[in-house]
Amino acid sequence: MARRVVITACSAITPIGRTRAEIVRCLIEGISGVKPLRNDGLLTDHIHSGVYGTVDYPIDYDFKRSHSKTMGPVSFYACQVAKETLAASGLDPAFITSGRLGVAFGSTHGSPSVQRNIYKTFFSESQQQFASIGAVDYLKSMVHTTAVNITKMFGITGRVISSSTACTTSSQSIGFGYESVKYGLQDAMLCGGADEYDTTTVAVFDNLLACSSDFNATPHLTPRPFDVRRDGLVVGEGAGALLLEEYEHAKNRGAGILGEIIGFSCNNNGGDLILPNIRGITDTIALALKDADIGPEAVDFISAHATGTKMGDVIEAQATGSIYGQRPFVTGLKSYMGHTMGSCGAIEAIITLYMMAEGFVPPTLNLVEVDDRCTMIRHVQHLEKKKIRIGAVQNFAFGGVNTCFILKKIDT
Amino acid sequence: MRRDAIKSAILKIFAEKFEIEAPGVDDDLRDGYEFDSIDAIELLHEIEIMLDTQLTRAEKKNAMDIRTINQIVDYAVALAAARCQTDSAGPECLSTTGK
Repeated sequence: MARRVVITACSAITPIGRTRAEIVRCLIEGISGVKPLRNDGLLTDHIHSGVYGTVDYPIDYDFKRSHSKTMGPVSFYACQVAKETLAASGLDPAFITSGRLGVAFGSTHGSPSVQRNIYKTFFSESQQQFASIGAVDYLKSMVHTTAVNITKMFGITGRVISSSTACTTSSQSIGFGYESVKYGLQDAMLCGGADEYDTTTVAVFDNLLACSSDFNATPHLTPRPFDVRRDGLVVGEGAGALLLEEYEHAKNRGAGILGEIIGFSCNNNGGDLILPNIRGITDTIALALKDADIGPEAVDFISAHATGTKMGDVIEAQATGSIYGQRPFVTGLKSYMGHTMGSCGAIEAIITLYMMAEGFVPPTLNLVEVDDRCTMIRHVQHLEKKKIRIGAVQNFAFGGVNTCFILKKIDT
Repeated sequence: MRRDAIKSAILKIFAEKFEIEAPGVDDDLRDGYEFDSIDAIELLHEIEIMLDTQLTRAEKKNAMDIRTINQIVDYAVALAAARCQTDSAGPECLSTTGK
């Protein structure tokens, strides 16, 4: 049994805003959400990169204490976008708790800020023997904290998938959620990812010489995917949630349909855990097209992973070009907000839906001069007023994990 | 600590840590305020800080059936009194049952 899977609601928290109007305005006007890295009093003095994709606006959380008490910052993000998505979906509360709705939601590593507080306990010089780890610290910080805080808040009793594969976390959430609905395991899946402000992640990439550090005084000029002056990725924070629903179920209840997921792929490079792999990425793209049962000529737009690293962008451009040539538009959306890690796939999917709805393709920000090794694809360097019917979202992660899913605009 | 001081301190903890303002002293905290086992563990940690002592595992397990503010105050008063019996008793210890 293979069923059609549509997206009927979504919500995002991003460094370039929360609402569709705010996000679209930033994309059209070329406004960056990359800001100076906030001092955390611990690691920032040792990190070369001084930039961060920052959520610097207040969010009015209205959670009961019985819900919020098990949340670290990452779950606040996750539950907020989940709450807004379910509200926008108009789903019957009885359906939400029926077991027919599941959750696929993850983060890079739970809540690092809570984990940091736990470690402080071990290194505390306090003589108070009763100093101990809080009763809820594990619930706040565990890898699947986002998914289960969502299930708790809304009484969701369906399956739970909580991927934690760094940069492919939320694209796996969407992909595995899509497969859950497609093959009849659930009638709907609430999918996405989140990551909170965290300097540990910056330090990790910085240590690998993968973070941008040449633009610390001008944060808005980095990252620079595919540009000759790119010098690495910019870590960011954010969250994104999408409600995936079986097509007939959505249609019968009169739900608005934002788009359809028609294909998904996930594979591994089967080797090095860090280096980008052209074979693995090429295979992922081809597998997604095969799953969607379309040829490359059907795709109008590609949301490239495009982190702005020296080799990652080259390998992605070569793999993408080998399949698509120069026909579809290619944009690196991380140029606007940095790499929001576990949430990037969901946020990029949501932005692609916004682009489909409003008929435009934003340029890759800061792409002034295309690297000679990246010229085989159709870069977008100026705002294009074009209708997108089919878009592909590509994401690749440490560990050699690659994902690609394909979105289609449908007329309802 | 006197009983009334302990009661005030417990109510302050409930207000500040658990956002439960002035609960009835005999109200069932689980039914009325969603005060669950996780909250109970957090409360025990706060009582350790309040009394400047470390609770034994047995003492913590004994607290798991407590449901009301009055029972919590009784529990904390008993803990304080037990510490006074094992430590050198001072004027404070003599007043743990004071009203």
